[in-house]
Amino acid sequence: MAIIEQPRTNVALPAGTGAPALVTPKEAKGMFARPVEPKGWRDWVFTVDHKKIGIMYGVVAFVFFIVGGLEAMLIRLQLAAPNGKVLSAEQYNQMFTMHATTMVFLFVMPMASAFANYFVPLQIGARDVAFPRINAFGLWTFVAGAIFVNLSWFLGGGADGGWFMYAPNSTKMFSPGHGVDFWAFGLQITGIASLTGAINLIVTCINMRAPGMSLFKMPIFTWMIMVVQFLLVFAMPVITVALFLLSFSRGFGGAFFDVKQGADPLLWQHLFWIFGHPEVYILVLPSFGIVSEVLPVFSRKPLFGYKFVAISGAAIGFVGWGVWAHHMFASGLGPISVLVFSMATMMIAVPTGVKIINWTLTMWGGKLRFTTAMLFAIGLIVEFTIGGLSGVTHAVAPSDTQQTDTYYIVAHFHYVLFGGAIFGLFSGFYYWWPKVFGRLLNERWGKANFWLMVIGMNLTFGPMHIVGLQGQPRRMYRYDESNVHARFWNAISTVGAFVLALGILCFIVNVVITHRSKNPAVKAPLDPWDARSLEWMTSNPPPAHNFDAIPTVHELDEFFHRKYAVDHETDEIKQIATAEQIMAEQMAHAEKDIHLPSPSYWPLVVSLSLPIIGFGVIYSHILIAVGALVTILGLFGWSMEPSVATKDDYEPPAPTDDAIKELTA
Amino acid sequence: MNHDTRRTGSPQTMTVHVETRQTVARRTWRRVAGGTALLGGALLLSSCSRNSPQDTWKPKGDSARKIDNLQRPVFLVAGIVGVIVFLVVGYAVTKFRDKGQPIPKQSHGKPALEIVLTIIPFVILATIGAFTARTIVQIADTKGCEMTVNVTGQQWWWEYAYPATAENQKYGITKPIVTSGELVIPAGTCVLLRETSRDVIHSFWIPALNGKKDAVPGRVHENKLEADAPGYFAGQCTEFCGLSHANMRQWAIALNEEDFATWVQNQQRVATVYAETDDSPEALGYRAFRQNCSRCHQVNGMQNADGTPTIAAPENNIVAGSVPNLTHLMTRSRFAGETFPLLNKTCTERLTKAASEQLGAVYLEGVTSDCLNRTQLEAWLRNAPGEKPMYVKPDAKGLLRGMPNLGLSEKQIDSIVTYLQTLK
Amino acid sequence: MSTAAVAEHGTSHDDHGGGHGHTSTGLSNNKLAMWLFLGSECLLFGGLISTYMLYRGRHVKGPGPDQVFSIPYTSVSSFVLLMSSLTMVLAVAEAQKRNIDKAKLWMTVTAVLGATFVGGQVFEFTEFYRKGLGYTTSLFGSSFYTLTGFHGVHVTVGIIMLMATVGMLKSNKVPGDKAEVIELVGLYWHFVDIVWILIFTLVYLIPA
Repeated sequence: MAIIEQPRTNVALPAGTGAPALVTPKEAKGMFARPVEPKGWRDWVFTVDHKKIGIMYGVVAFVFFIVGGLEAMLIRLQLAAPNGKVLSAEQYNQMFTMHATTMVFLFVMPMASAFANYFVPLQIGARDVAFPRINAFGLWTFVAGAIFVNLSWFLGGGADGGWFMYAPNSTKMFSPGHGVDFWAFGLQITGIASLTGAINLIVTCINMRAPGMSLFKMPIFTWMIMVVQFLLVFAMPVITVALFLLSFSRGFGGAFFDVKQGADPLLWQHLFWIFGHPEVYILVLPSFGIVSEVLPVFSRKPLFGYKFVAISGAAIGFVGWGVWAHHMFASGLGPISVLVFSMATMMIAVPTGVKIINWTLTMWGGKLRFTTAMLFAIGLIVEFTIGGLSGVTHAVAPSDTQQTDTYYIVAHFHYVLFGGAIFGLFSGFYYWWPKVFGRLLNERWGKANFWLMVIGMNLTFGPMHIVGLQGQPRRMYRYDESNVHARFWNAISTVGAFVLALGILCFIVNVVITHRSKNPAVKAPLDPWDARSLEWMTSNPPPAHNFDAIPTVHELDEFFHRKYAVDHETDEIKQIATAEQIMAEQMAHAEKDIHLPSPSYWPLVVSLSLPIIGFGVIYSHILIAVGALVTILGLFGWSMEPSVATKDDYEPPAPTDDAIKELTA
Repeated sequence: MNHDTRRTGSPQTMTVHVETRQTVARRTWRRVAGGTALLGGALLLSSCSRNSPQDTWKPKGDSARKIDNLQRPVFLVAGIVGVIVFLVVGYAVTKFRDKGQPIPKQSHGKPALEIVLTIIPFVILATIGAFTARTIVQIADTKGCEMTVNVTGQQWWWEYAYPATAENQKYGITKPIVTSGELVIPAGTCVLLRETSRDVIHSFWIPALNGKKDAVPGRVHENKLEADAPGYFAGQCTEFCGLSHANMRQWAIALNEEDFATWVQNQQRVATVYAETDDSPEALGYRAFRQNCSRCHQVNGMQNADGTPTIAAPENNIVAGSVPNLTHLMTRSRFAGETFPLLNKTCTERLTKAASEQLGAVYLEGVTSDCLNRTQLEAWLRNAPGEKPMYVKPDAKGLLRGMPNLGLSEKQIDSIVTYLQTLK
Repeated sequence: MSTAAVAEHGTSHDDHGGGHGHTSTGLSNNKLAMWLFLGSECLLFGGLISTYMLYRGRHVKGPGPDQVFSIPYTSVSSFVLLMSSLTMVLAVAEAQKRNIDKAKLWMTVTAVLGATFVGGQVFEFTEFYRKGLGYTTSLFGSSFYTLTGFHGVHVTVGIIMLMATVGMLKSNKVPGDKAEVIELVGLYWHFVDIVWILIFTLVYLIPA
C-alpha cells in the first residue's frame, strides 16, 4: 500500500484501453529533488505527514487561542464597570473584531483541522490523507493568513468593523485604515487553506477507508468531519466572493457597496451569512464528533442511535444552508422572508435536539467513568443545551428583534461556541493526548481545568443573558446608568473571565508538567481508555506509516469488538483479547514495502507567496507581481517535483519478535 | 465473520479492568445541576431586578407587548425543556456511574424511541412556530398608523423629520419639524417610522415600544411605535456603526394629546433674531454662534448680518451631510446624539422618575437655567472629539465625521452657551 | 479475509504493496478532488452571478448593457469557446485511446480557441471602456467586469493548464496516468465553458 501524490492506477478508464500506465517511484518524473529525511526543524517544516501537520495546526491554533483570549480579557476589563477606561473606543472596536476573528478563524477552525488531520486517517485505517502535499500547503497557508491578519496590529491597527464586517461601515470611506484590508486578504488566504483542506479530507474519507469500513461503519467523528468539509467546500467560495467584493471596493473603487451608486448594503449581509451560518456548524460539528467518540468510550456503550446522529449531522449541514437570514431579522427583510427563515431555524433545532437526546441516551444504562475527557463531554451536553435553548428563543423572530445585538446573543453563542465547540475540543485534548504524545495528561490538573472552566464560563456568559435582556447592546465600549443598570452582572462576568483564564492556565500547566515528568506513570499504556475505534489499534504515538497492517473492519467500533464479545452462556460481555494482543497480531502481519510520501519544499513556498500578494494589494502593486511570480514558480516546482525522493522509499522497520513478545507478556 | 478466528490471544474471559483514576464523579451531577439552577435563578432574577431603562421585558406599547406575550411562554417552554434535560443528564450521571457493574449490552439504539424523541421537539417547535408566525404578521402590519415620522440615522445620532402630510396635519404639524435624538410622539397613537440612513447601517430600538429595525442607507424600512401612556423611553442604536456606536443613543417621549400639541406648536416656531446692534449677552452669543457654528448647525429663523437667512451647509463639511438642527435644543433633555444629559442630575432624575401623568409637564419645561448641565455643554464646545470619540481628521474630500475641536476661547464658549439657552 | 471484505464494500484500487484494498468510490482521488473543486467553484460563480443579477438595472450613471453590448460579436466569441469544449472532448477521447500525440494536438487547438476567446474579451472590454464603462463607473461596470473578469481568469488558468500539460507530455514529464491528467484538465475546461454559457445567457441575452 502506498501513498504518493499521483495515483498509479487508472480505475476510471473505460475497459479495453490497455494496461494502466503505472509510474513507479524510480521512474517518477520531475526536475527537483525532494528533501531526503530532513532532521530537526526541517523535518517539521517540510513534512507532509498528516500527524505532524495535525500537531502543528494544533500548536498554532492554541497560540491564537491565547491571543484571542487576551483580547477577550481586555474586553472584559473594559466592561467591568460603567465608562471603562482600559481601552479607547477605537481600540475596543478593534479588540472585539479581532477577538471574534481570531477565535472563529484562527482557533476553532484550525483546531478542528488539527483533530481532523491527525485522526481521520487513523480512524479510517489510512496511511495518510489523499493529498499529503496539499495538506502541508493547507497548514502553511493557514499560518500565513493568520499571521497576516494579525500583522495589522503592528501596521496601523486591527480591523474595526466587527467580525461580520457589515458594509458600508467596512468600506474605505468609513474604515480608512488598513485593518479591514489585512482582515479581508488574511481571511481570503485562510479560506484557501480551508478549501484545500476540505477537498483533501473529503477525498480521504470517501476513497481511503480501510477494507470493510462502509460509510455506516465509519467512526462518528470522521462522519462529522466529513459533513463539515462539505460545508466548507460550499461555504468558503461564498465568503470568498464577499471578500473580493469588499477588497475590490476598497482597493479599486468598485461600486458594490456605494449606496450613492444604487448599491444595496444588504448584499454583503446575505453573502456573509450564507457563509456565516454554515460556518457556525463548521465550528461546532467537529466537537460534536469528538464527544460522540468520548461518550461511548467512557460509557462503555456504543453511541446511541449512531445512524441517527450521523444523519442528523448531515441534516444540520443541509438545513444549515436555509437559515442564514435569521441573523437579519431586524435588517428589514419583508415579513414573508422573516417568517420563512424563522420557521426554518426552528426546524434546525430538531436534528440538534436529536444529538442531545442521543448523547444522553448513550450514557443511559452505561458504565460511566468520569475522566476529564468525559467531564468535558458531559459539560458540552449541559452547556450546549443552554445555548441551544436560548437559540430557540431567538428563532422566534419577533422576540429576536428585542434580543439581537444585545448581550443575550453574546451569551447564546458563547454557550454554543465555548460550551459547545471549545468544550468538545478540550474533551478531545484529554482523550487523544496519549495517542498523539504517548503521555497521559494529569487527571488532577485536568479536573481543576474542567471545573474552573465550567464555573468560569457560566460566571462569564451566564450573566450576559441577564444584562442582554436588560437591554445592554453588544459592541459598546462603554455603558452607563442611563441605559443599563448592569454594574453587578458585568462585574461578575469579568470575574468569571478570570476564572476561565485560570482554568485554561491549568491546562497549560498540565501539559508542561506532563511533558516534564520523569514519572513512568505518565507514559500512556497502549489503550488507556479501553477505546472503541481504529486509531487505538496502533502504538502511542503511531508510527509514520500509522499501521503495521491495515486492519480489516467488520463492525462499527471495530477495536471494541475485537476486545470484547458476548459470552453466549451468560449473555454477558466478556473480554476476549487485550489491546496488546491485538496489536501484536497486527505487528505479526506487518506489511512490507510501505511507501510514504517524501517531504517537500513547495507547499511552503506557495503558501508564503500569498501574503506577499496581500502586502502588494495593500501597499505596492509591484509586490503583487513578485508574489504572483513566487506562486507560479512554487506551483511549477510542485508539479515538476518527483513523487518521492530518490532512495527514499520508506520501509518501516519490521517489528521484531521480541517487540511482539514484549507486548503480549 | 467469527471474531475468534482473528484473535491471537487466548479467548479466555478476563475480568474487566476497573477505572482507578477517577475519584471526583460522586457529586458531578449535583454540581452541574447546581450551576444550571443558579443560572436559571439568575435568569428569573433578571426580570425582577432593578429597573433597567432598556429592559426588554417591560413592554409599554402595543408591538412590544405582542412580542412579550410571545416570548414569555417561549422562555418558559425552553426553561422547562432545559430543566428536563439537566435532570435526565444528572440522573444518568449518578445512576450509571461505574460501580463495577458488568459492561452493558452493546445496543445501537431503539429506532422507535428515536422517532418519538424526534417528533416531540418537532411538535413543540411547530406550536411555537404557529404563534410566532401570527406575531410576525401582526407586527409587520402598518395599516392604521395615524402619523408618520421620517427617521434618519447617521454617525452617531438620529434625526426625526415630521413631514406636514395630510395625516400629520391632524396633529397640528402644518410645517415640517426637524429634530434629533428624542423622538416625541403622541401616546396611544400608532406612529409609523420610515427609517433610513445617510451613511452606514444603524438600528432603531426603543425596547419598551418595539423591537429593532435597521436603518439602511438606500432603503426605507417601516417600523411602528405606539406607547400606551405618556412616558420617557430609553433606547439606542444597536447595529454597530463605527467609532462612537456606543454613544448613539435615543429616547422616545410619549406625550398626551394636549402636551403633544403644545410641543408641536413650539417646534414650528422659529428662533429669535437679534439685531446686529444689540449687545446683550444673548445677542453676542447669537453672533458668536452664527460665526462659529452655523456653517453646519441650522437654527431656523437665524439671519446673516445682511438680513438674509442663515442656511447651514453641513454637506460641505460632514460625510453624512447632516448635523442636528439646534432651533429647539433646550427642549431636549440630552445632546450630542443623546450621549450627554443636557439637564443636571437633579433635573434628569425629576424627568426619568416623573409619573406618567406629570411627564408631559416636566418635559415641556425644557432646560431651564437652573437645570442646565452647563459643565458638560461647555466641555463639549471646548473639545467635542475629546468628549465623544469621532473621526475629525478630514478625509480626501475634506469631510469630517463628527464635530471637530473648534478652538473656541472661553469667552466664546460662554457666549455661545448663553445663546443656546435661548433656543427653546 | 480482506478480500471478502473488499468485495463486499467497494473496489480496491491502490494495490501497491500489501494487497489490502480500500473502501472507496472507485473514482480516483484526483478526479474526486476535481469534482469537489468544481462544486466549490459553482458557488463562487453563483455568488458573482447573483451579485450581477441583484444590481442589474440599478446603475445610476454611465452606459447600460444595451449601450455597450454587441450581441453578434460576443455570440461569435462564445461560439469559439463552445467549440473549444468540442476539441477538448476529442483530446480526452484520443488520450483514452492512448493516442497521446493526437491528444496533444487537440489540446493545443483547445488552448488556441480559448486564447481567441480571452483575446476577444480583452478587445470587448477596451471597447466598453471607450464607450465610457470603467470599473468604477457604476454598479453595472463593477459587477460586470468582476463577473466576466473572474471567468476570464479561469479561462486563462485553463489555457495555462492545457499548455503546461502539453509541454509536460512532450518532455514526458507527466507523472502518473497521462489520460487521467488530460481528463482532469478537460473537466475544468468544460466547467468554465458551461459557466460562460450561463453568463452569456444571463448577462448578454436576457435584457434588463
